Amino acid sequence: MSKPARAVGIEISGVNLSYGSTHVLKDIALSIRPGEFFAFLGPSGCGKTTLLRLIAGFAQAQTGQVLLDGQDVAPLPPWKRDVGMVFQSYALWPHMTVAKNVAFGLEERRLPRGEIDRRVAQALELVGLSAFAERRPAQLSGGQQQRVAVARTIAIEPKVLLLDEPLSNLDAKMRVSVRRELRALQQRLGLTTIFVTHDQEEANTICDRIAVMDGGKIQQVGTPMELYEHPANLFVANFLGSANILDEKSGVPIPPGKRLVFRPQHAALSAPESAALRGPVTHREFLGATVRYGVRLGESEVLIETPFQSGSELRSVGDQVGVDLPPRRMLFLPA
Amino acid sequence: MFRRSALVLGSALGLVLASGAAFAQTGKVTVVTSFSKDVTDPIKKAFEKAVPGATLEVQNRNTNAGVKFIEETKGNNQVDLFWASAPDAFEVLKGKKLLSAYKPKATGIAEKVGSYPVNDKDGFYSGFAASGYGIMWNERYVKANKLPTPKEWQDLAQAPYFDHVSISAPSRSGTTHLTIETILQGEGWDKGWRTTKDIAGNLRTVTDRSFGVPEAVNSGQVGYGIVIDFFAFSSQGAGFPVKFVYPSVTTLVPANVAVVANAPNKAGAEAFIEFLLSPTGQEVLLEPTIRRLPVRPETYAKAPADYPNPFKDKNLQGLLTFNAELSEGRTAAVDTLFDQLITFQLEPLKAVTKVLHEVDAALKKKDNAQARALAKEARDLIAAMPITEAQAASPEIKAAFTGGKEKSSRQAELEQQWAAFAKEKYAAAKAKADEALKLAR
Amino acid sequence: MTSIRSPGQIALALAIALFLGVFLIVPVATVVYVAFTEKGGGGLTLVNFLDFGRTDLFVRSFWNSVYVSAMTVVWASVLALPLAYLTTRFEFRGAMLVQTLGFLPLIMPPFVGAVAMQLLFGRNGSVNLLLDEWFDFKIGFMEGLNGVIFLQAIHYFPFILVNLSAALRNIDRSMEEAAQNLGSHGLRLFRRIALPLALPGYIAGASLVFVKVFDDVATPLLLNVKEMLAPQAYLRITSIGIDDPMGYVISVVLILVAVATMWATALVMKGKDYATTQRGGGGLARRQLKPREQVLAYAVVILILALVLAPHVGLVLLSFATVWSFSPLPDGYTLAHYTRVLGDSSVYIKNTLLYAGLAAAIDVVIGGAIAYLVLRTRLPGRQWLDWAASTALAVPGVVLGIGYLRAFYGVSLPDGTPLATLWIVIVLAIAIRRLPYALRAAYAALQQISVSLEEAAENLGATKARTVRRVVIPLMTGGLLAGFVTSFATAAVELSAVLILVQSNSDAPLAYGLYVLMQTPAGRGAGAALGVIAVLIVAICMWLSQLAVDRSQRARGMDI
Repeated sequence: MSKPARAVGIEISGVNLSYGSTHVLKDIALSIRPGEFFAFLGPSGCGKTTLLRLIAGFAQAQTGQVLLDGQDVAPLPPWKRDVGMVFQSYALWPHMTVAKNVAFGLEERRLPRGEIDRRVAQALELVGLSAFAERRPAQLSGGQQQRVAVARTIAIEPKVLLLDEPLSNLDAKMRVSVRRELRALQQRLGLTTIFVTHDQEEANTICDRIAVMDGGKIQQVGTPMELYEHPANLFVANFLGSANILDEKSGVPIPPGKRLVFRPQHAALSAPESAALRGPVTHREFLGATVRYGVRLGESEVLIETPFQSGSELRSVGDQVGVDLPPRRMLFLPA
Repeated sequence: MFRRSALVLGSALGLVLASGAAFAQTGKVTVVTSFSKDVTDPIKKAFEKAVPGATLEVQNRNTNAGVKFIEETKGNNQVDLFWASAPDAFEVLKGKKLLSAYKPKATGIAEKVGSYPVNDKDGFYSGFAASGYGIMWNERYVKANKLPTPKEWQDLAQAPYFDHVSISAPSRSGTTHLTIETILQGEGWDKGWRTTKDIAGNLRTVTDRSFGVPEAVNSGQVGYGIVIDFFAFSSQGAGFPVKFVYPSVTTLVPANVAVVANAPNKAGAEAFIEFLLSPTGQEVLLEPTIRRLPVRPETYAKAPADYPNPFKDKNLQGLLTFNAELSEGRTAAVDTLFDQLITFQLEPLKAVTKVLHEVDAALKKKDNAQARALAKEARDLIAAMPITEAQAASPEIKAAFTGGKEKSSRQAELEQQWAAFAKEKYAAAKAKADEALKLAR
Repeated sequence: MTSIRSPGQIALALAIALFLGVFLIVPVATVVYVAFTEKGGGGLTLVNFLDFGRTDLFVRSFWNSVYVSAMTVVWASVLALPLAYLTTRFEFRGAMLVQTLGFLPLIMPPFVGAVAMQLLFGRNGSVNLLLDEWFDFKIGFMEGLNGVIFLQAIHYFPFILVNLSAALRNIDRSMEEAAQNLGSHGLRLFRRIALPLALPGYIAGASLVFVKVFDDVATPLLLNVKEMLAPQAYLRITSIGIDDPMGYVISVVLILVAVATMWATALVMKGKDYATTQRGGGGLARRQLKPREQVLAYAVVILILALVLAPHVGLVLLSFATVWSFSPLPDGYTLAHYTRVLGDSSVYIKNTLLYAGLAAAIDVVIGGAIAYLVLRTRLPGRQWLDWAASTALAVPGVVLGIGYLRAFYGVSLPDGTPLATLWIVIVLAIAIRRLPYALRAAYAALQQISVSLEEAAENLGATKARTVRRVVIPLMTGGLLAGFVTSFATAAVELSAVLILVQSNSDAPLAYGLYVLMQTPAGRGAGAALGVIAVLIVAICMWLSQLAVDRSQRARGMDI
């Protein structure tokens, strides 16, 4: 598959969408750059799929705009938007062969037969399913079906690619390999891609940037690292990786209306005497490269991960320990 | 209507006192009938009044279904009486020994209505009323299409009537069968069939139900129908714009009643027959919703002024003596001939008839001897019959329908032969007629 | 596919086989064996079938029937497709009303319905009288074979509408969204995605229409078309005095054609596992129509409904008419017909609802069971249950009626009354005749449910029986209800075929009342009034069940 002539960007502004009295999307504003691999990340019911369907044309917003390559797509029906979508269920048509499924969009575009055949072959080769062209979807494994769905979508060379939880129907091992394939494919095509997922690891591993969503709102947009390092609020901090969140009851001095947030690996254990924060070890987990301790601070409990070196002495449950937290690792976020 | 009912009930009361013995039987009398509610309700009412304690349980079925029902349930029969118009239905039941003979005690019943004997000669069924056949037409239809008013059967064969006439198939309607049989006996086998086919060439439809004909005339789907009189009269009574005429040679057909073999309430059944034939029972027939012709001549004294009287009116007397035995012997053959030569060949028959009407019209303007000869040839071809009168009644043909030993061929084979015969003759006639039309123009 | 033969399944199969044997096969066999004997005695023979092939009339009738049935399917599809698609796929106000009204043509009371149609579409019906007056020409709506096709398409298209709508509702929405996303829309989207996926439902409906039209007697005879196979059989069987095996030979041919059609249908559908796994999760997204499209859509819907409901309009007019003859509209209007029938028709209506309701309930249970056995088990010979039940479609009503009399009249109850005189026998006869409707509906419904849903239940520890009860039946509810409604509604207005079994007025259904009225000229209006009452009652029952289907649909889908 040749690279599209030019990758396109997506601008979303002021979007509100409700179904009846349910406000599903609230004041969504978002800018996705050309060629970017972008993720909508959030728990189920956060509105991420609806936002994706909005871009594809399957949902109508009450207010706001979606610009695709600078052009308002509101008047365009789904079939004129040129945004390729891979459905969570894959939505492969059982009455067509794999090749027919992939050829469908090309036929709808009234391409010459020869061109269609060429591009179907190319798309199937790209996903490594050339040998399965004449099979029916029901005869394929889940991973193969997913690849057919991708091939079917990229065959039409869409302006952007939308992936709705594409990995959720695959087993864990498959998921890792397929996501790498997806990333490689996206890189090769240079295609602006939006990836909807509830799994932060998936988003982190393959996406350039992530919009974290909750309750119909975008909580924060940024690269995986930015989000991890500088979460804008407690939800983001908690949703991406594990975080310790402390209030004043922990005995730590915290400004009113704020919470102290830090990652378990950013704190270290020390001798209780010299530390400002101290408390007993409540539990211990050996994770291989690290050891995770639970420590009670006041009425709260924090997790602390320390690197494991062979021969080093581990703390036991009940030991009094000190907790060292470098000030630059301390985040104060609004409650 | 109410006044008449009161009158009937009044005389019924007197009758009970007069002939108590005959009506002493009580209990439920079950009757299978093809007569409509309009007919059965007043009679049921009068009967139950006349015979205290008796109830008439009416099972309304069409004639064919009624016959089948009695046939299929004979092993455990629950029916006392069979009560319908078509004599051939009774013949069938009689032939299958499903009727029990009963000679009514009532006196003063005519031997014949018109040319048809009232009672079965073997005493298995009794006529209690008669009806005449005639032509019924829809006035609006006739006016809108500027069509003439018919008087005689032959009128229906004329050009203006083309595609406007309806009849029920004789194989489906016992009364139509009798009409055809009357024409055949009156005019002879060959001429009778010629007349029948001449009229048939003008048919719009051949219905499979007797009532289909008046229904179509009433709603104006066809102009003319060959129907039994009470259909026309009751249609008029219901307000439909229809007229009716008895042609000068008409058939009167009886309506019958018979006791079913092994009737659970034989005495009750006989009481019902006696009631039907009694002066009271006969008078009920004069009610406007029933309007059948009584078989007791004296009853007509109580009829309205314009009521047809087969014992006085000339055109209802009948010109020939109906030979019931002859009719019975060839029923299946006649019905099947009609179906195979007319009903299932109606399109080709009509096609050639239409051309012949055009030839006649052209000849009227400018005569042409050759065309005239060709048209006659065509008419002869149409009139041709696959079998003679003698063959129709022969044991070989009869056996083909009954499955007897003498059969020379199976019914299906005969049918195919006759249909092929008609198809070929009509096609040849069409060719002649087309040629005649070319010459005549 | 589950492949264990549980004793429960075997018992179920045997019970159904026994039911079909006693109430269908034996009675019919007692009648049609005549087809295999030569008239006047003698042993078994096939000579009658040779005669069938050698008789022009029968061969012509056969091809006429094939032509009429096939063309009826085509025209019925033309009527049904827009209604089904528009009402299931778009935001369409009154969709439920359309679905209900679209079913009405199937509920045409016997005898009187024919008169109403003649008055509207006949040679001198309202339409032609007006055409003649304004434009000086007439259209032969009701002439010959094309007339039969016209009426049959109007009458039977609901079979396609109901089955197709159910199938369309069951397609996961992502199937069509994916196609839209790839650039497909409008008719192409329908033709390439929705229709193929709804094919099980469509074919179920279409094959039903084909067989039904092939075996229908009433409509051809109403138009006086006798050169079709079913009328030929009917005319021969019911003609008195002639013991002709050919009527029964034709009955056997009709049955064979019905079985062959069902078999061919099964063959076509084989391997087309269109079950959508998402059933129960995907829901249904109704699309918005643009204002211009909306106008067009309503125009199409209204036009179709006007056409298919015309007979009912005619029926209503007739029920209020004083005299209606050779005129576009009745001469005057009156309520007299209603006052006449209201008194003595309540017993008919009560009987009809009882008989049709019981029969439809039997049909749904047995139809659902057969569908389950055929599609979900590996019992040997299970297909035969399906075929046997489907033959009921082709057995002429009069053959079944006579068969029941033969088989059950000799059997007496302890007090001496024959078994066949009990009203339950009428119910059984109706149930047998309407079983194929419920069966096809159940079949289509089950075909669209993924086996994995059942396997999931079994995996979680549910027994087969509990899986059926808790998973299969709830998911099939829509289809089963559609089957119930179809069986019920058609049974309620068309019991004429089993009239021969009616033994007394107090046990008589509506069709009997109609028959009695329609034998007299004065009874025409009253018959129409009774017909209208019947249609109304059935329509209300249907509307209520449609409401239930819709509610269950809404509860299940329509999520974000």
